[in-house]
Amino acid sequence: MSQPQKKIGDTLLKVEDISLSFGGVKAISGVSFEIKEQEILAIIGPNGAGKSSMLNVINGFYHPQEGTITYKGEARHQMRPHNAAKQGIARTFQNIALFKGMSTLDNIMTGRLLKMRRNFLWQALYWGPALKEELAHRERVEQIIDFLEIQAIRKTQVGRLPYGLQKRVELGRALAAEPDLLLLDEPMAGMNVEEKEDMCRFVLDVNDEFGTTIALIEHDMGVVMDISDRVVVLDYGRKIADGSPDEVRGNKNVIDAYLGVSHD
Amino acid sequence: MGVLNEFFVLPFLDIAEAPLFFIEVIIGGLSAGVMYSLVALGFVLIFKASGVFNFAQGVLALFAALTLVGIMEWGVPAPVALLLTAAVMVGLAFAVERLVLRPLVNQEHIILFMSTIGLAYFLEGLGDTLWGSNVKKLDIGIPEQSFEIGGVLLNQFELVAAATAGTLVAVLAVFFHYTRVGRALRAVADDHQAALSVGIPLKTIWVIVWSVAGIVALVAGIMWGSKSGVQFSLSLIALKALPVLILGGFTSVPGAIVGGLIIGVGEKIGEVYWGPALGGAIENWFAYVLALMFLVFRPQGLFGEKIIERV
Ligand SMILES: Nc1ncnc2c1ncn2[C@@H]1O[C@H](COP(=O)(O)OP(=O)(O)O)[C@@H](O)[C@H]1O
Ligand SMILES: [Mg+2]
Repeated sequence: MSQPQKKIGDTLLKVEDISLSFGGVKAISGVSFEIKEQEILAIIGPNGAGKSSMLNVINGFYHPQEGTITYKGEARHQMRPHNAAKQGIARTFQNIALFKGMSTLDNIMTGRLLKMRRNFLWQALYWGPALKEELAHRERVEQIIDFLEIQAIRKTQVGRLPYGLQKRVELGRALAAEPDLLLLDEPMAGMNVEEKEDMCRFVLDVNDEFGTTIALIEHDMGVVMDISDRVVVLDYGRKIADGSPDEVRGNKNVIDAYLGVSHD
Repeated sequence: MGVLNEFFVLPFLDIAEAPLFFIEVIIGGLSAGVMYSLVALGFVLIFKASGVFNFAQGVLALFAALTLVGIMEWGVPAPVALLLTAAVMVGLAFAVERLVLRPLVNQEHIILFMSTIGLAYFLEGLGDTLWGSNVKKLDIGIPEQSFEIGGVLLNQFELVAAATAGTLVAVLAVFFHYTRVGRALRAVADDHQAALSVGIPLKTIWVIVWSVAGIVALVAGIMWGSKSGVQFSLSLIALKALPVLILGGFTSVPGAIVGGLIIGVGEKIGEVYWGPALGGAIENWFAYVLALMFLVFRPQGLFGEKIIERV
């Protein structure tokens, strides 16, 4: 696979000394790492390592007890979901969170809610300028639908779609926000080989064509080695490695974490 | 034979003999049903958007009516008093979000439900303290003359009530289906986590639904209060809203409307035509029996949305 040379830039997001616990359970202990502009960062690790928790910290679903999150140069102790979304962080979930009662089109459209310029209450007055705006948004949504090759299910209620397609719609909804930072929690879990290949292609294309920075959690090492620029490895809530795919693959701690214990 | 006759023959003979009277009975039932619909509608809005079963919806109607009467007693003209009361209901929505919902976010549904029971008692007490507990007359100038069309006796008040409820429902339907706030509301109702992730501010949404529910309660309170005086029994219409919800489905706006009308009409017809056979007071239990039958045979309600389950 030929990787075009990328212009990986400055730090977009930096987490420092993040610690998060639920009651007595320590999900994350003192983890720090950076995500640079335009890179694809993979977060890997055995089940329960704290990967999903980390994404939840980044988009403000979880509030860490300790640590700092610096996003676009602004440091905070915690993010909040609404602000995270407003500042360009979009995401998908390990256990798909779609609007199951809505069509594919409406799901993706809802992902653009914050792009709609007029303020929240004003939007209630739908007619006039707002209608024109709506049409522009519709066009953008159609482009995303074309990009993800899901034209055939535009009007289908997403609750009825097979798992692989739901994952794709969820990606579409995240893309609709035109994010600067895209967080993907196991986007390829439970997919067959062909679906995985499609998803890999979409992830690479998003990164390549839109310059979107991506942090993704993935279990399939083949996929991770193929698409990521850098890999962070978590185990029992601690970071045990951070480097290029090749460096990480040879790292003794990582081999132990994966081979020493049986997982899944 | 006599019993069968009373149940299966006489009522229908009565209907056939005086069809115009039958129509009047139906209209009477519809006008009571509109009230049930309005209260149920308030429930549905809040339940859809926040998963909270709002026990206080009936008391909200009472509180709104009490506030309206209280403000009018200061000598404020009706239209201004209406606006002021609506503002009070919106203020209440802000207070509920800040003081009740926000501290309880992510708690079990049952805890939120209990907090609305607390809210109901609080509002009852507050209304009582602010405006007194005696029965009050509410007259905002809705005409009440009766007139006849084609032999059917109609009351202007009931027409106004029906028209108001119809308009309210139409406005809400448009709001929910064609505006972006409506889209956000539906998104929140469908999946909280997903809604948060696309940046929908849950708190704003809650203030909006509670405001809308408060204004719907105000309309219900006006209708009911103008008819039977503003008194604490008003909050009891909330009890009738429960069977309406079972009939219509907890998450269906059209369901709340249709359910309310069916129960209103059903209990009136039952009372007038089957009352003699069953010893009267059918209005008191008809709704509950119908709801029980629905629970057994069609638990998702008339409008078929699946009962909400969270895993
Ligand atoms: N909301 C939560 N409440 C309680 N414990 C949680 C919660 N979320 C995660 N955890 C715990 O934190 C640890 C890390 O979980 P998670 O981040 O989901 O791991 P991963 O995604 O790497 O499999 C686990 O022990 C998990 O049980
Ligand atoms: Mg996980």
